[in-house]
Formats: sequence, structure tokens, C-alpha cells
Amino acid sequence: MAEAKTMTLNMGPHHPATHGVLRLVLELDGETIVKVTPHIGQLHRGIEKIAESMNYQQIIPLTDRLDYTAASLNNLGYCMTVEKLLGIDVPRRAQYVRVIMGELARIMGHHLWLGSHALDMGAMTVVFYTFRDREMIMNVNEELSGYRLTPSFLRVGGIARDITPDFVKYVREFVKWLPKALDGYHTLLTDNIIWRKRTMGVGTVSARDAVNYGMTGPSLRGSGVAYDVRKALPYSSYDDFDFQVPVGENGDVYDRYLVRMEEFKQSIRIIDQAIENLPDGPVKVDNPLVSNPETDEVMQDISALIRRFKIQCEGPAVPEGEVYHSIEGSKGELGFYLVGDGTSKPYRMKIRSPCFILTSALPKLLVGHMIADVISIIGSIDIVLGEIDR
Amino acid sequence: MSNVTLTIDGIEITVSKDKTILEAAKTAGVRIPTLCFHERMNPIGSCRMCVVEVEGFTQPMAACDTRVQDGISVTTNSGQLFRIRQDSLKLILVNHPLDCPVCDKGGECTLQDLVFEFGIDKVEYHAPKQDRLSEYATSLIRYWPDRCIMCLRCVTACREIKAIGAIDIRGDGYGSQVVSVHPDKCESCGECLMVCPTGALTENLSRYKGRPWISERVMTTCTYCGCGCQLELNVLNNSVIGVTTRDDAGVNRGSLCVKGRFGYEFIGSDERLTKPLIRKNGKFQEAGWDEALALVAGQLSKIKKESGPDAIAALSSARCTNEENYLFQKFIRAVIGTNNVDHCARL
Repeated sequence: MAEAKTMTLNMGPHHPATHGVLRLVLELDGETIVKVTPHIGQLHRGIEKIAESMNYQQIIPLTDRLDYTAASLNNLGYCMTVEKLLGIDVPRRAQYVRVIMGELARIMGHHLWLGSHALDMGAMTVVFYTFRDREMIMNVNEELSGYRLTPSFLRVGGIARDITPDFVKYVREFVKWLPKALDGYHTLLTDNIIWRKRTMGVGTVSARDAVNYGMTGPSLRGSGVAYDVRKALPYSSYDDFDFQVPVGENGDVYDRYLVRMEEFKQSIRIIDQAIENLPDGPVKVDNPLVSNPETDEVMQDISALIRRFKIQCEGPAVPEGEVYHSIEGSKGELGFYLVGDGTSKPYRMKIRSPCFILTSALPKLLVGHMIADVISIIGSIDIVLGEIDR
Repeated sequence: MSNVTLTIDGIEITVSKDKTILEAAKTAGVRIPTLCFHERMNPIGSCRMCVVEVEGFTQPMAACDTRVQDGISVTTNSGQLFRIRQDSLKLILVNHPLDCPVCDKGGECTLQDLVFEFGIDKVEYHAPKQDRLSEYATSLIRYWPDRCIMCLRCVTACREIKAIGAIDIRGDGYGSQVVSVHPDKCESCGECLMVCPTGALTENLSRYKGRPWISERVMTTCTYCGCGCQLELNVLNNSVIGVTTRDDAGVNRGSLCVKGRFGYEFIGSDERLTKPLIRKNGKFQEAGWDEALALVAGQLSKIKKESGPDAIAALSSARCTNEENYLFQKFIRAVIGTNNVDHCARL
């Protein structure tokens, strides 16, 4: 009897289709995968540790660099956690703008996912269209904050400043445009015979397994579990909006694809409702210990100047305590755990990264498949290494 | 001294009869905000931040200069007290200049801390602006009358801690000002500077060199004399940019003399001698330590041999430690064999 021999193959960390610097050690029996060991950490920057030496407002730009494909959502998760620790509610106008920015970021993340997912599997056309449309969101970000990819526009207690008329104009243009573009994406892939053959029945995960592995977001919903933090535990005025949570049936790559394609539409619906019903009012919480005073005040009033000095140089006054808050990120449930020790810097910040948990489910998804399916499955769970390694 | 029992915020506490309410509260672990109060001085009672309510009395009282009485019940925090403290701060802020961005005290200013703590978001009161330029109190200390909140800590410190009384108040009411009444008596010790809760008195040497939170504070012993005063060197980018003191540290408990507080520039001076010099042909030339020590040892042995030990005299420095000075005199007496040894502090 011939001895069973397996081959070990290193995939990554510089493989273009592992969505960042992920290294997979694959054990192959012929072309079939028998064992997978993900190696992570190549993109580790120590964001959680750096956060301990920065004040609560200064940490916001760090969070942009977690899942950099959908930066504003990370800002939202972080800011809401600090606000929970402070026990403050942000004004409704700020909540709506946050929702718009968050949903735009979600679409931006899905654009990058769709383009690169298809590109990885050889469908090169798609990426040109998704990146064309992603550019429109970048322009919105630039108009609002000056930054295109990492806006850092949210603040603890609201948003940095009020929106501009141009912002509303650009968002409306985008809301009008995206459904048409979406039809185009569907034409390229949904009924494409090659696409269907590469994705249907590949990387199947049952609802039970998906829940047990802690998968969240579109990857969980592709298996038919309708869990979405926006619906389950509404935050930032999400209960004001009418939208659906799309779910799949089979839990394979194709269903996860369909779920995300439908999420484009739902996000556009939310943005449309938010921009049309944008309430008037302030965009920062009226709390002298948290919000920066306006520049006009600072130039005239010593107490405003002192507040600005203290908030900028030392950070907002945050009480002692520990708190966890999670939001629906573009990849799944993004949670922040903060321990405050009464100073203006957190004692500990821990990020519950949806991508990290999705990566831990990779062996389950990959074993038994052909080596070519690795690309399709990694693409379908849509991981971002910036968030896994932190 | 007999003891009395009183209640502070529901906490029953027994203290000696001569304590103030503020001291009793500290013993009970209750914090009362203060601004003009300083532990090393008698209560001044000018800022009204420490007001408390005493049951049976209609008026709030200043905790820092009210003695405890048997059986009284004190409330240190209430809505009314909070508003009184807020209003006191607002009245202090009425003519405070918009100087925080350029003020050396920014970041370690008691006034800033209190304004932030009490969440003051607007000063509704207005007062005629007084245009008073900053002036040099001495060549080392600068006085900014605009930033002064008239807490009188500096005047009290000069009189009570240093027993000099070089500064006092002149004028009255809104126009009053701290002035140097006996400039000839002032030694520039910087006691006033150290107790100033705001940036009204600043140091001239380390102006604009660095914000308090970016410099590292290294606790050390003053090198000037044998008193052993504790001070903190403010270090930024490996150079000393200032000297501060802590009220709780060392025998000096926060006080320094003019040398300790302002004489730190020699540390980074270009003119400082870092290598031994040997005079050769009438000119100083750099030498290695081995060469220099060999020369000194050789010459000392030679003189001792040729002219006897009493031909040698030695003078030590006050800037060495006691241990170093002890070893030095031991060396002169036991090794060289002469009693011709002295110390610069005796000169």
C-alpha cells in the first residue's frame, strides 16, 4: 500500500488574493485541502496598546485604520462606546449624519469587496465599475472632512462640524446613481455561468456552525441567520429607518455574495431616508466637559478658551468604569470594550474584530475543497487584515 | 487639646478642637475644592471656593478658616454650593485674559482645572477691561497683572514662609494689584512663583520652552549646598528646561532658594568643563583622566616628600555630597597627613 503523502504549501503573506498580509499554511492531498493553519500578525501595529497612551478623542484616527475599507463605521463604534461610558446621547442631527457616513462606508467596503473578490477569481471587469463608484463616496468624504479614505469625522459627543450643502448634493447624486450601477454589477456576475460554478456549493457553512464559530455580518446572514445589530439592538436612530435584513439559504459563497449585493440596496434606502429627513439642530452634545466650544466663543470667552485647552490638551473628562458596545460593521459585529480609570486616557481598549473571528472559521470553510477555492472562500468572508492584526 | 465630634456629609468624625472644617474634611476623606488655600500657610479666605453649609447657619461658610465646633453638621456639596462656586469662578474669570495658549502655566493651572471641573461654559458677567502690561518683578520673575486672580498666596508666602514681606497689595477693590513694596528685600527665591495657582507669576528662564505635560519630571536633590532640598528637574529632549518643587517632598517641602530654583542653566552650558586640562607652557591643554590623575598624584607625593605634609592645603566643595566630603577630609588627614583642610561653605 502506498504511503499517504501530503504537501505543505505556504499561501501568503504576500499573495495578492489573501486580502492583506495573511499567511495560510495549507496541507494538500493532491489538490484537496486537508488542513489549514492561518498565521496572522504581520500587520500588527499595537493599536489597542497605543490607545492606552492617547486621550479619548485622539484615538479616533487610530480606529479608522482597523477596517480601513469602511473607516467611518469604526469611528462610530468607538465613539458610541465612549459615549456609553460618559452616559451621553448625541443630538439627532449628528446621529443621522453618522448613519449616512456609516452606510456610505459600508457601501465603500462592499465596493472594495465586490471588485477584489471578482478580480481574485479572474473577472477583471467588475473592479473598474466598483472603483468608479467608490470614488463618488471618496468625494463625499473629501467634501466633508478633507480625507478620502479615513475621514475621522466623528467625535466623541457628535461630529466634527455641521455638514455642508455640497455634502447633501453629492449624497443625493450618489443615492440616485447607485441603483443603476448595481444593475450593472448584477449583469456582470449574478447569472454569469463561470461565477455561479465557482461560487455555488463552495465554502458552505450551516447556520448552526456559523453561529457556533461566532461568525457575524453578511457571512452569517448568508447561512440564513437574520442577525443584524442594527435591527437587534438599534443604535444611532436606526429604528427610525425602514430597511430589511437580507438573508441567504445555503450558506455558500454565492449566497454571501447575494446578501452583500442586497445590502448595497438597503444601505442606499437608509441613506435616502436619512438625508431627506435630516433633523435640524446642533451636531455636538451640549456638555462642557466633552464638546469643544465654537471658535467664535473661544476668541471672546475665557471659560470657552479654558475648556478648549483642557479638552484638546488633556482630553474629555471620562468617568471610571467599563463598557462594551457593538455596532454592525461592514464585515460583522464590531465591538469595543473600554475600561476607564477616571483619567482622560483609557486604561484598556479591546476591539472585538469580526474579521478575526471569521478568520478562525476559515479551516472549517476550507477543508475538503480544492486549492483554487481558497481564493473564492477568503473573498466571500471579506476579511480585512488591518482589523485582524490591529 | 480636647476633641470635638462633627458630621461631614454624613460621616461622623472626631478631630481636635483647633482644626478647621477643611482639615476635618480631609481627615474624613471628603474633598472640598480650594483655590487660595495652601497647606503651608494660614488660611487666606479670598477665593470662596471652599464654601460649605453648616446646619443652623443661613450663610455658607469658608471651610478653610472656620474652626470646627462640637456637634455641627456640614454639607460640602449641594446644588446651591455648586452654583456659588461656579459664580465665584465666573467672577474671577471676568477680567482674565485669553492667554491660555501662550501662558506657561497652561496645563498645570489650578484655575483651568476648576473651571473645567465646574463645567463653566459661559461667563455672563462683564467688567471694564484693565490694560496692565506684564512687568518684571525681578530679572528672574515676571509678573502678569492681568492673569492675577488676587488669591494673595504670593503675598502670604513671602510673609509667612520666607518671612520677608517684599510684596503686598496696593490699591483697593477692582483696581487692587500685587506690587513689590520692598524691592530691596526680595531675593528672587521664587516662593511666590511656586505657590501661584495661575500664570500670573512666571519664570523668565524657561519661558515658552515646553508645556508641563511634555516634559519629564525627575525628582532629585539640589546640588548647591548640604541642605539636601528636593526638587524636580523638568527635562525635555534630554535638557533641563526648568525646576519645580512638590509640596510633600523633602526637608524643604517645596521651598527653594534662588540658586536651587533658577541656577540650572550650568547643566547644559557650553562653557562647562567636561575634560581635565593640564597647563603646559602656560596654556591649558586637554588631557586624559589617567594622565591628569597621575600628574596630581605625582606632584602631591613630590611636595609631601620634599616639603612635608603641611606644605599642602585642601579645599573641598559644598556641591559634593556629605559622603564625598568625608572621604576627602579623610584622604587629606590620613593619607597626606595634614589638618589643612577646609570647605567652601565656611569661607
